[in-house]
Amino acid sequence: MKILEEAGQRHKIFLNVAVLAISLFSLSRREFVFDETTAFENFMVDMFSPMQSSVTYMRQKTSNFFEFYVANIDASRENAELKKGIGELKSQLFQYEQVAKENKRLKELLQFGSETGFQKVLAQIIAWDANSDFRVLRINKGKEDGIELQSSVVTSEGLVGYIFRLTDHYADIITILDPNNRVDALVERTRSHGIVEGYSKSRAIMKYLAGTEPVILGDLVLSSGLGNIYPKGLKIGKITRVERESYGITQTIQIKPSIDFSSLEEVVVLVSPKDELREKEWKALDEAEGAE
Amino acid sequence: MRNEIKHHIGSLLLTIVILVLFEIVTTAFFPALGIKNYRIPFNILIVLYLGFKVESPFIAIFIFVLQYFHSFFSIEGWEMGTIAGIFICVIISYLKELLHFSSAIITILVTQLFQVFWFLIMSAILYLKLGDFGMIVDKFWRFLPESIFISFCAPVFFVLMDRIWGVASKEGMLGEEV
Repeated sequence: MKILEEAGQRHKIFLNVAVLAISLFSLSRREFVFDETTAFENFMVDMFSPMQSSVTYMRQKTSNFFEFYVANIDASRENAELKKGIGELKSQLFQYEQVAKENKRLKELLQFGSETGFQKVLAQIIAWDANSDFRVLRINKGKEDGIELQSSVVTSEGLVGYIFRLTDHYADIITILDPNNRVDALVERTRSHGIVEGYSKSRAIMKYLAGTEPVILGDLVLSSGLGNIYPKGLKIGKITRVERESYGITQTIQIKPSIDFSSLEEVVVLVSPKDELREKEWKALDEAEGAE
Repeated sequence: MRNEIKHHIGSLLLTIVILVLFEIVTTAFFPALGIKNYRIPFNILIVLYLGFKVESPFIAIFIFVLQYFHSFFSIEGWEMGTIAGIFICVIISYLKELLHFSSAIITILVTQLFQVFWFLIMSAILYLKLGDFGMIVDKFWRFLPESIFISFCAPVFFVLMDRIWGVASKEGMLGEEV
């Protein structure tokens, strides 16, 4: 018995050390830039995401049910039918209003960026990241809808983030509120450059902006187009705080994003048609190299 | 100590199913209710349970598998949670003689204490990775409500997990004699 336990302990130590070593190695290689999924991960995410999607759908239906029917249970019998009728009409009206609002939102989204030449894929948010350290959203569109890794994600109000992880039918967006997301940005009025990083649940910060740049509160911050991910001129947010050190060469700026992330429902993924061209060019180059 | 992994496969599969259900609630249901700034980290609760109650040389593998499934719902990946989980389990193994879950209060307090260890390990890893102390402070303010919620869930959750893992205890997790 004792020999068995000692063997178990040896196994345990060996496995602990082995798994720790693999984890540390994998962690050292992990970069929070983008995540290429394996076929298994692709399959698992595609399997679990519809469940997340259906939870959101059921929550909306239940909420409507309680709002429009259960609240009327205490009404008198005589009024019950009328109230039921009114409730149904209100429910219908509510649904029409929701459809009208959705319509308006979607129209704005589709009209937005019509001049940029990007192919637009409209998507709904179905879930948030399981860890509150990361500000990541999951959408119901993926590779099969034409989305690519690192495609920019926007709404008519401004920049949301970019595609970090992609499966056939779903995608994860790393938002501009996440500290792992960095956007090369410029202040619209002064044209001064800096890097915008996620900071908290509702704020981002702009770093490496020269201390001599005369930025003021309320200045609009836009994407600069550098960095090969975001197109130029997307609205990021407005400056809400400026910190200048007496002897520092840079200033740190706090930005309130132009998007209210807490009420975000739909987004537009911008897919660059140039990517296809680039892919063809790479393919042609590869083929030429292969022929040589 | 059950030394063969086949003894644990069924329990592990059931635990994965429970983890997935909780992850779906955390990532889809709570945000739909308006809770968007806090996520309830049920993966931590499950890993802590394994450390507290399951006697097996394969704990590290179980933690890896659970964290791998957790990574389908988070871009965090499986590595950080696996490292934190194994360290926590090593700490627990040294303190095992001192830990007795004789009442719900003690279960809550012990769970809270080990979540603090988890927070410290994760913060250290994140700091090494990102080099931003401001993020750790921000994380701490989210950690408080999230960890307290998890600690209050622990007594009932551990009873459920006891059944799944076939762990017999001298005292019930809720304090009553079994």
